[in-house]
Amino acid sequence: MTTLIVIDQAPYGSWSGREALDMAFSLAAFDQPAAMLFTGPGVNWLRKGQQPDELGQKSAEKNLSAAPLFGIEALIADERACQQYGLSSETMLSGVELSSNIQELLNGHTHVVFAS
Amino acid sequence: MPNSLAYTLVITGAPWTTQAPQTALLFARAAVSAGHKIDRVFLYGDGVHLASSLNAPPSDETHWSQQWADFLTQHGIPATACIASALRRGLVNETEQARYELPANNLRAPFEIAGLGEWVEGSKAGDRTIYFHGGS
Repeated sequence: MTTLIVIDQAPYGSWSGREALDMAFSLAAFDQPAAMLFTGPGVNWLRKGQQPDELGQKSAEKNLSAAPLFGIEALIADERACQQYGLSSETMLSGVELSSNIQELLNGHTHVVFAS
Repeated sequence: MPNSLAYTLVITGAPWTTQAPQTALLFARAAVSAGHKIDRVFLYGDGVHLASSLNAPPSDETHWSQQWADFLTQHGIPATACIASALRRGLVNETEQARYELPANNLRAPFEIAGLGEWVEGSKAGDRTIYFHGGS
């Protein structure tokens, strides 16, 4: 079983992305291959320098930086969405892979889970 | 039955807020009557509200929590609410009530509370995992 967790909502506006992240971490904890795809407004999860303190929320950036450590195989960003939201390699977390062929990515996993 | 499949259903939308629990129930009934098997139902995110024993809709509306509970009991299907989602949203059983020293518990039988591991196991073991979201 290989699972792709897809986040297509911006961070901090709802809890669905955060709970999708928990799913990815949980798969990794049970030694199941898991990767995450960020697409649409979801690519904003990957932005460097997030400051959610004033919202009273924990930093998504910090969670994601720890993802490889916890065994999540890849953080993948939809290249077109990155362009749309003005995200470049300078403004993005390090270690994120870019993909321009989302269809191929979806086909490459036995399970695909959308956050909401 | 040779073409029988084993399903895990994941519900993430709350009842009376989204259509997710209804659609999932209609799917489950259709699947069972067509000879398929529902291995497990997993409630995640806002979906955990389905397992509350305190839902009290007006008498002329369908009681989705009750309908789901009856269906699960009738077919002996295990159903689990994710513990992290449940605790955040005020859904607890006696064990969690005692652990967090809360004034009440409200988990409807036959739902149980457990971790995401149940979802991982269900997805691994079954033929299909289907997600019922509320949409946004």
